[in-house]
Amino acid sequence: MHRRVNWALMVATLGAAFALYAIKYDTRRLELHVRAQERALEKAEADVTVLRAERAYLARPERLEPLARLIGLAPIVSSQYQRLAGSGGPQHEATPDDASNAR
Amino acid sequence: MPAASCEGPLSERAMTARTMTARTILPRPQRGTSPPRLPGDAQRDRARLILCALLLAFMLIAGQLVRLALKAPPDVRLSLAEPMAKSWSRPDIIDRRGRLLATDVGTHSLYADPQLVQDADEAIEKLTAALSALDAAELRKTLLDKSRRFAWVARGLTPRQAQQVHALGLPGLALRTEPKRVYPLGQLTGHVLGTVNTDNRGIAGIERMLDDTNRAEAVQGPARAAAEPVRLSLDVGVQHALAEELKQACVRYSASAAAGVVLDADSGEILAAASLPEADPLRPSDWLDGQRADRLVGGTFELGSIFKLLTLAMALEAGIADLERVYDVREPLVAGPYVIKDPYPQGRPLSVREIFLHSSNVGAGMLALEVGAERQRVFLQRLGLSEPARTEAGPMAAPQLPKHWGRVETITIGYGHGLAVAPLQFAAAVASLVNGGLKVTPTLLAGFQGAGRPERIVSVATSAKLREVMRLNVTNAQGTGRYADADGYRVGGKTGTAEMAGRGGYREKSVISSFAGAFPMDAPRYVVLVLLFEPQTGEGRGQHITAGVNAAPTTARVVERIAPLLGVLPRL
Repeated sequence: MHRRVNWALMVATLGAAFALYAIKYDTRRLELHVRAQERALEKAEADVTVLRAERAYLARPERLEPLARLIGLAPIVSSQYQRLAGSGGPQHEATPDDASNAR
Repeated sequence: MPAASCEGPLSERAMTARTMTARTILPRPQRGTSPPRLPGDAQRDRARLILCALLLAFMLIAGQLVRLALKAPPDVRLSLAEPMAKSWSRPDIIDRRGRLLATDVGTHSLYADPQLVQDADEAIEKLTAALSALDAAELRKTLLDKSRRFAWVARGLTPRQAQQVHALGLPGLALRTEPKRVYPLGQLTGHVLGTVNTDNRGIAGIERMLDDTNRAEAVQGPARAAAEPVRLSLDVGVQHALAEELKQACVRYSASAAAGVVLDADSGEILAAASLPEADPLRPSDWLDGQRADRLVGGTFELGSIFKLLTLAMALEAGIADLERVYDVREPLVAGPYVIKDPYPQGRPLSVREIFLHSSNVGAGMLALEVGAERQRVFLQRLGLSEPARTEAGPMAAPQLPKHWGRVETITIGYGHGLAVAPLQFAAAVASLVNGGLKVTPTLLAGFQGAGRPERIVSVATSAKLREVMRLNVTNAQGTGRYADADGYRVGGKTGTAEMAGRGGYREKSVISSFAGAFPMDAPRYVVLVLLFEPQTGEGRGQHITAGVNAAPTTARVVERIAPLLGVLPRL
C-alpha cells in the first residue's frame, strides 16, 4: 500500500516538476515578449517625442511669419472689423480662447 | 486456542514491534562499555553527518555574505558606483496654449571602462577618425586611467555617429541612450526657459526651478515620458510679436538693446517677456555674457519719467492733489546743490493733469515733496519696489535704494531718478495701479494662484483717475505718448527718457527710452512695458531720442499685433 502511494507521489512530483518547468518556460517566453513590447513602446514614445519636437520646430513663428507674408497674409488690423448692420456690434468681447479657436 | 498456534510464524510488523520492545527493555550499558549497535544506526549516523555538513556549508555562505556586506572592499564599491553616472529626465515645458517649448529627446553617448580597454592606441586612432571633435590627448588620458571603471568619452552623438562607433566594435567602449534637452523655438523664450548642463540638469531660468522643485528625475537610460508637462503663462504668438517688434525697433532707432514685457493686469501672468540680444538655451555660455543678460530681471535701471505714474497715484491716493489742482512749475526746483528743470518748459502754471501730459519734472518733484519722503518710501514699499523680488525663473536684481531718503531723493525719485528697479518689478507695480488697485505679483506659471487675497494698494477711484490721465496722454495732441495710440485698442500710458548712469555722472546722449502702458484703457487687461536702450533716432523727428518718438510708437505696433491674438476687440 505504502509503496503504491510512494510511486504515486513520485509520479505526481515528476508531473508537477514538468508542469512547473513548462510554466517557467512559458513565463520566460512571455517575459521576453513583454520586454520586446516594452522596447517597442519606448521606441514609439521616443519617436513621438522627436516628432513633436520637429513639429514644434517647423511651426515656430519666426519660420511661419515670412511664409505667411509671402502668400499675402498679414496681422489683422482694426479696419478689418465691421459692425453687423443693426446689431450694435459684437454681443460679447472675444476671449483669448475664441482667438485661439479662430486660429 | 493452542499456544503453538499463537507462537506460529510472525508477520514483519509483529517482528518490528518485538524488536522495538526488546530495545526498550535492554539493560543500560555499563560505564566503559559501548552499547550494542543495531541495524539502521549506521544510516542514521550518515544522515546526521550529511546534515551537519550541509549546515556547516550554509553557515559558511551566510558568514561570507555578512562579511561582504559589512566590509566591502573599496574596489567593489567603485565598480558599482561609477557606472551609475546619471542623466536627468525633465518634464516638457509648454506655453499657455500647449505649444511645446522644451522637451527631452534620446541621444547616444559613448562611455569607456578603461580596465576593459585592450588597445588604447587603436581605440584612440579609430575614435578620433570617427568623431573629429574628440581631443586625442584627452582621450588617451581617459583610456589609460585604469583606476576608473567609467568615463564619458563623447555625449550627444548623432544616430550616424553612434552607428559608426558601434561598428568599430572596440572592447571597453559602449553606447548609452540618455536624455538631451531640445528647444524647438530656439532663442525665442531663451531667457525665461534658462538652460541645462551636459547632465541635463537645470542651471538657469525655469529649468533651474524644475530641479529645485524636484521635477527632474535621475535616470540611467532614456527619458521618462510620464511626467506632467509644466505649463507656462507665456503665449508663443504674443512672445514672437513682441520680440519681432523689438528687433525692428532696434534697427529702426539704432538702439543697442531692447526689452519688453506683456503682463496680465489682474493675475500677473507674464504673457511675453523679451530681452534683446537674446540668449540661446543650447549655449549655456550665453548666461555668462553680460551683453545677453535678461534686462527685465537681471539688472536695475533708473527708469525716468514712467515713474511719474507712481508719483501721481501716490499723490492722488494721499488726497493732497486732484487732477485739476494747479502748481506753479515756471521756476526750476532747487534741491541742495541741484537745480531741477523741465526739458520742455511750458512757461505757465500747470494742472496735475498737464504735469502728467507734459511730463514736468518740476511738477512731479513738487507732488512728491507734498506727499513727503516717508509716505513715498512706504508707498513704494507696498508696491514691492523696495524689496528684492523673484519669479519662478529665479530672483530679480535687488532694487537700488538711496542710502539717505531726504528732500533731494524725494524729488528725484518723483520723476524716476535715484531709485533703480528691475523693469519687470516696475511693470507689476503699474499693473497694481491700473487694475483697480490690487497688488499684482508677476508669475511665469499659467493659472498660478497667489496666497490669499491681494493687498489693496490704491482705491478704485485713484486707479480710475490714473487710467484717465494715462489714456489722455495718448489721445491728447500735446501728450508725450501720442504716438502710442494703437488704432481702436484704447492704449494709455506714460513715456520715460532716462539718461543712463556712467562714469562720473549721467550720459546725456545715452538714454533708456521707455513706455509703460496698458490696454484697453477702459478696463485694462494687459500691461505693456517697452524699453529701448541707447536709441539714436526717433520716429521721423531727426535726432530726437525721447521715448515719445521711439518707445511709444513701438508700443503701438506691439499692441496692434498682440491685441487680436489676445482677443481684444477694437472699438469701432
